[in-house]
Amino acid sequence: MKRTDRILVCMAVLALSFVTPGLKATETVAVDVPVEVPLNVSPDVSPDIPRRADGKPDFNGVWQVLNTANYDLLAHPARIAMATRPGPFGAVPAAAVLALGAVGAVPAGLGVVIGNEIPYHADARKTQQDNQANWLTTDPEIKCYLPGVPRATYLPFPFQIFHSDTAIFIAYEYAGATRNLELQDPGEAPVDSWMGQSYATWDGDTLVVKVTGQNDQTWFDRSGNHHSEALVVTERYTLQNTHVMDYEAIIDDPKTFTRPWTIRMPVYRRVGVDAQLSQFKCIEFVEELMYGKLRKEPLQPEPAP
Amino acid sequence: MIRVRCFFLILLLAGSAYADPWVAPVTPEGWPDLQGTWTSATITTLERPREFKQLIISDEEAQAWESRNAEGYAAIDDVPETGVESGGDVGGYNSFWMDPGTRVMRVNGQPRSSQIVIPEDGRLPWRLGARLKLGGFLFRLTRSFDGPEQRPLGERCLVGFGSTGGPPMLPVLYNNNYQIVQSPGHVLILVEMNHDARVIRLGGTHPPDNVRPWFGDSIGRWEDGTLVVETSNFHPGQSFREAITHQFYMTKDAKVTERFTRVSIDEIVYRFEVDDPGAYTQTWVGELALRRTQDRIYEYACHEANYSLPGILAGARREEKEGAGE
Repeated sequence: MKRTDRILVCMAVLALSFVTPGLKATETVAVDVPVEVPLNVSPDVSPDIPRRADGKPDFNGVWQVLNTANYDLLAHPARIAMATRPGPFGAVPAAAVLALGAVGAVPAGLGVVIGNEIPYHADARKTQQDNQANWLTTDPEIKCYLPGVPRATYLPFPFQIFHSDTAIFIAYEYAGATRNLELQDPGEAPVDSWMGQSYATWDGDTLVVKVTGQNDQTWFDRSGNHHSEALVVTERYTLQNTHVMDYEAIIDDPKTFTRPWTIRMPVYRRVGVDAQLSQFKCIEFVEELMYGKLRKEPLQPEPAP
Repeated sequence: MIRVRCFFLILLLAGSAYADPWVAPVTPEGWPDLQGTWTSATITTLERPREFKQLIISDEEAQAWESRNAEGYAAIDDVPETGVESGGDVGGYNSFWMDPGTRVMRVNGQPRSSQIVIPEDGRLPWRLGARLKLGGFLFRLTRSFDGPEQRPLGERCLVGFGSTGGPPMLPVLYNNNYQIVQSPGHVLILVEMNHDARVIRLGGTHPPDNVRPWFGDSIGRWEDGTLVVETSNFHPGQSFREAITHQFYMTKDAKVTERFTRVSIDEIVYRFEVDDPGAYTQTWVGELALRRTQDRIYEYACHEANYSLPGILAGARREEKEGAGE
């Protein structure tokens, strides 16, 4: 090697010694330096995702979906109302929601179910249809009950992830629901609960959360999609860049479905003054609905507007 | 030889000097690490029982108190299993459903006779008007069943009873566990009852006056090794804080300052100051020990299984119906 070549190599090594510590784990460089590239990351993942000191993706922040999955997981056109009755020329809003007008209509959505099919067993399909027909009296969201997983993610409310070196915790604005993600295997859930038991592990840069021990009282959406207590949800959270994460949930419930199925959607980071949870403790908002008939003097129906 | 002995003596003295004080672990961001699951369960009450004249009591006094408490706790289950007449008092929880703690609270190793440390007498420094308001609330509590809004917040599952979620966060009959998680801009405190998440911003300003969430609005900062949390904008519906062992009242304009200091691997000293001139003649201050626990916090889904509230209202309607028929 010539002297000038040796000088150039030394300069390159010197330059690399300054650059390398700042590299992100997903960046590639044209030198023979071992760089760990996660296998599961899709090609559209930015190399500039925020990371914690331990190198793991940093999920801290306030997040929210921008979709209509809570109305219906499947692709759907805009609909006249969630609760309807037959009219002279087709469905019209049910009397209980008539006064809401356009506010009570259902916005369209392209769906979040991969393959756009929920593979129900026949009897479970019938239950979904009954749920949908009786939505006003049977959707747990209407009574402000805890939403379960995955519905908590795509309710039209933000949630905040608190991610430290020893804990990952999710607080949801809706109903003040919460989840502590266990980072050590907690074993079998000791009892079924509304939000279940969450056990988090890492698959490369993807946070994988296995949710077990959910009771059979929660739904997936306002269209009556439901599950049994045998439900196992495997969530996958993957940061795409600073502002967007990919959320995927694999739904496995052999009592209700003929095979596992998957939902997937982007979740967006709220920024600035919007990056803050407000409070939506809705219990007080449903007391008249749930207990009004037990008042000493129940309120009389209001005259039509 | 003497030199060698002196050398080892100096080493020993130096070692003991450096063994204290205990240094709190820090997070990657450099703040004291308060994270984990903590319990405040104790038999020490908010206000000082009349039998005690001092805040700090002796170990013998503490042990005697604990023994008396254990006897009383066991007696809770001493009820007849049969023979209760229809309409008679069947009692409430038995001990299986309670977890109020068994020990006198020890803060930094000192057995305490009350949570209140200021005023010195360990009693709430009431203004008469505020005390009368509380008395009126407690009087109505056993007589008002016209609708859900007349029932206390705990019965309605809106927040836990007795100021368990605070602030100040006080121990009650059960569910005295808290989980703390620290992220770069926030401290989260999960209150076991009712799965309530207190989200404390580090810095920032309070919202407009008409925004008054349950538990108020909390802003935190670090002062040396202590997390200081100031809370205002209290919800007017959360003014009465009632539990079996304590009852107090706070106006919606109260200011509460909490200080969390980790003093050992197993203890956080939790100090709180209640500044509420509309209800008290002076700022009152309390201290609790939050002790680390390995227990896990399970979901406390109060509203979803609230059979009590409709049962209480339905019972009142039944009584009215039967009374009207007499």
